[in-house]
Amino acid sequence: MRRSRLRAAVALLALPALLAPILSGCGERAGGAPVTLVFKHAKILGPADPVPGLLRRFEAQHPGVRVQSEALTWSSDEQHQFYVINLEGDSPPFDVMMLDVVWVPEFARAGWILDLTPYVSPAERDAHFASAIAPATQDGKLWALPWFMNVGVLYYRRDLLARYGFAPPQTFEALAEQVARIRAGERDPKLDGYLWQGKQYEGGMVNVLEALWANGTRLLDDSGRPFPEPERARESLAFLRGLIEKGVSPPWVTAADEELTRRPFGDGRAIFLRNWPYALDLFELPDSRVRGKVGVAPLPRLAHGPVGAGSTGGAHLAVSARTRHAELAVELARFLTSDDAQRAMTAGAALRPSRPRLYEDPELVARDPSLPALLGLMEKGHPRPITPYYLMLSTTVQPEFSAVLVGRKSPERAIRDATVQVDHLLRAIASP
Amino acid sequence: MMRAARSMAREAADRRLGWLLVSPALVVLGGLTVYPALWVLWLSLQYRIPVFSISRWAGFEQFRFLLVDPRFWNAAWVTLVFTVGSVALECALGLAVALGLRGQHRGRRLALGLLLLAWALPSVVTAKMFEWLYHPSGGLVNFLLGGRTVNWLGDPGLALPALIVADVWRSTPFVALLCYARLLTISPDLYEAAQVDGAAGVQAFTRITWPLVRPILLVALLFRTLDALRAFDIMFVLTGGGPAGATETLTVYAYRALFQTLQIGFGSAIGVVVFALVMLVAVGYLRLISRESEAA
Amino acid sequence: MKPGRRDVLVLIVLALYAAPFFWQALTSLRPDSELLPLTHLWPSRLTLAHFDVVFRQSLMPRAIVNSLGVALISTALAVGLGTLAAYALARLPVPGRSVILLGMIAATAFPQIATVSPLYLLMRGLGLRDTWLALILANGSFALPLVIWLLAGFVREIPHALEEAAAVDGADRVATLRWVVLPLVAPGMASAALLAFLFSWNEFLFAYTFTATEASRTVPVALALFPGVFEVPWGDIAAASLLASLPPIFIVVAFQRYLVRGLLAGAHRE
Repeated sequence: MRRSRLRAAVALLALPALLAPILSGCGERAGGAPVTLVFKHAKILGPADPVPGLLRRFEAQHPGVRVQSEALTWSSDEQHQFYVINLEGDSPPFDVMMLDVVWVPEFARAGWILDLTPYVSPAERDAHFASAIAPATQDGKLWALPWFMNVGVLYYRRDLLARYGFAPPQTFEALAEQVARIRAGERDPKLDGYLWQGKQYEGGMVNVLEALWANGTRLLDDSGRPFPEPERARESLAFLRGLIEKGVSPPWVTAADEELTRRPFGDGRAIFLRNWPYALDLFELPDSRVRGKVGVAPLPRLAHGPVGAGSTGGAHLAVSARTRHAELAVELARFLTSDDAQRAMTAGAALRPSRPRLYEDPELVARDPSLPALLGLMEKGHPRPITPYYLMLSTTVQPEFSAVLVGRKSPERAIRDATVQVDHLLRAIASP
Repeated sequence: MMRAARSMAREAADRRLGWLLVSPALVVLGGLTVYPALWVLWLSLQYRIPVFSISRWAGFEQFRFLLVDPRFWNAAWVTLVFTVGSVALECALGLAVALGLRGQHRGRRLALGLLLLAWALPSVVTAKMFEWLYHPSGGLVNFLLGGRTVNWLGDPGLALPALIVADVWRSTPFVALLCYARLLTISPDLYEAAQVDGAAGVQAFTRITWPLVRPILLVALLFRTLDALRAFDIMFVLTGGGPAGATETLTVYAYRALFQTLQIGFGSAIGVVVFALVMLVAVGYLRLISRESEAA
Repeated sequence: MKPGRRDVLVLIVLALYAAPFFWQALTSLRPDSELLPLTHLWPSRLTLAHFDVVFRQSLMPRAIVNSLGVALISTALAVGLGTLAAYALARLPVPGRSVILLGMIAATAFPQIATVSPLYLLMRGLGLRDTWLALILANGSFALPLVIWLLAGFVREIPHALEEAAAVDGADRVATLRWVVLPLVAPGMASAALLAFLFSWNEFLFAYTFTATEASRTVPVALALFPGVFEVPWGDIAAASLLASLPPIFIVVAFQRYLVRGLLAGAHRE
């Protein structure tokens, strides 16, 4: 009797001892055992991927820490879905994550990311573009650190424009004229005019927003109401649809994303392209057909708006609110967004830094002379509406915009329908 | 007396056993179908956005919005066109295939196998298959049309017909099978007698075949209509509801509302509409079928 | 037309009907360089490169394991619970059984899009996100009513006389069920099991919603989310599609009779 009870007691005591290593296997350990940080990010485009080198440097600086890099899917929408699904659960399997700038307010409001304000000094904050810090700030707190910066730019074929004595167009009217003249002159039926992203996804939304800003209007006014100047919005949408109807842009732009438009331009089959700065690096590769022939200019304007109303974008680094290694994760984020790291990224990959100072750094400019010009474009750029509900808003109005682009709806009707749906959305969100 | 008591006891034992055997299934189904069915009604009356911890009463507000929601009416129209188009084509084609198969002597198993292949494939496989067939430059369809680059899935006017073709392809075998089985039960004597009477071909069809096949066709119609109303996989994967909502059925709209804009309450409201629609159609059809069988 | 020739013609027509599938099979063997644009029907050579990518670099192998596990367990549960329930509803004086049976039939018509939101919240609340159990339960929601519906009909087809004879021989209900009914209804169970397995294997909506990583992603979801960095890898997708189709094809080829029986039985249960 006693022996069996003793055996039972031993078993009971042994059990936690056996389980402990398994249970605490993923937990934090002081000193000794290695800590693994999981860093989730999308594949970095460009000639070389600087991230592994940077991570090894971080590991060298922090002995006992391993950084496991995990890739995200390519599409921004899928990345967002992945994050939402995993962050909604209780223990997301990552510590530091790369976020599209427009998701930061949403993730902050949802309580998924760590408030970085106590870890980042004001000086550090000011070292980044204001238009990169603003979207990452919610309720006066900083929720993510800018990692790299983007702005929508107009690419043009310097050689073709020079041949006909054109300067980069300041207005879209001029752009259309230039396309017509150049195509008539070149007599090449395969030469497309102006390529842009019109597919129904976030990139398409960006293109529409840029058209709105180019006409001096915007999607939401300051109080969050949609389409404050519906007539100007109508003009912008009609203009985009007109590009396709008049043949300035080929019809397939309505199904095109950044890569599907970059390639034809890179093969020399288009005169103008709207895209992000990363494309330039790929155009300047040794085996590129348009090497040395590509110029970068601010986006043209429409009747009522300014020149250069490109959308700013880019990625930020945030720390999961449920990370078990908060200090280390924040360290990693600060390391990757530091001056040195961004310098390495700009040099190695098709990325542009979020620190204005680096755009005039002699070493970087020597490698990429377009940087100073890009600085001006970055500073003129617009961020997309900064609201936690941006993605909800975007996915609500995207189908309406897409309907205009494919010719399924008139711009007036699309704006009307979009307004009805956005109003409903705002009603659902509004606190009673 | 004793016998009555014994049979009563047996009946009581039977009832107990019956409950015992049924309850696990009832519990599981209660939790997985009845409970969610009630819960979705409850959700449809709320503003629920879990990501932002929004959860408050909306009453019928979301249904009222659906009445004026342009995207909802577009989805309803697409659903109607898809359902009617698919089901009509499936039934016509299915009957034709069944008639063709009826006289088959050799290779019946092979024939059925080839036919059922289309039906058995996962809808995602079918969707990817047709996406490739419809590809503007790599697709077989354009190749067979002599190298024209028709953008089947990108043109708002062509996408819905293209989708319907894909759905008809995978659903016709079911209708064909049902009709074929029924046709097999029609005695050839009937046809011989009709031939003697001078009725041939078309008349044999309208006088003999059609009345006997009609009831099963009605059943097939019911199944296919319900399936078409609830269809989700194929349009979601083939076109995602695009371009610009040209193929966005109510189910796709509901899914987008639920898991893209994360409006659980609003998406549930659309789901409730689909639910009501399906139930209405089911009841309507069943009444029709029972009236038919009464008349027969 | 001679009957033999007609038969062949019909078979050719049906082979053409199944042509999309054969085309996809050919695509899976076509080298990348000959995919876009399509210039010739037949590729200059066949390649196994796409299958190599699918097996070595994609998440399909894991997805197949997930799908097999989920489908087999779902089917086992559905047939296990369903057969017993079907017998009870068909033969035993369960109070309210006609209502229950009607409810079962109605449950097969419940649109998944309506039940997915509460089930999503349920799975989230139970912490079952990204687990096999979530999918097994979700599949059960349509497999179980289907099995019960089919088997209730099959059970009813068994003549009362057989059960009465067993009772006369002294067997109680349970023994009758075990030794008389089950063997007779076994083919029907096979049909129901095949249909349940097929529907579980093909199921997409619930799987897409309740799974998050390759830990539980099933084959349809893995196929829908097949990764392509810049361009869509049509050849790889074709190869993955073929793999995804193997169990359904196997069922159609090897178990055609049971499959057909199941489909027809469902249609006649009106």
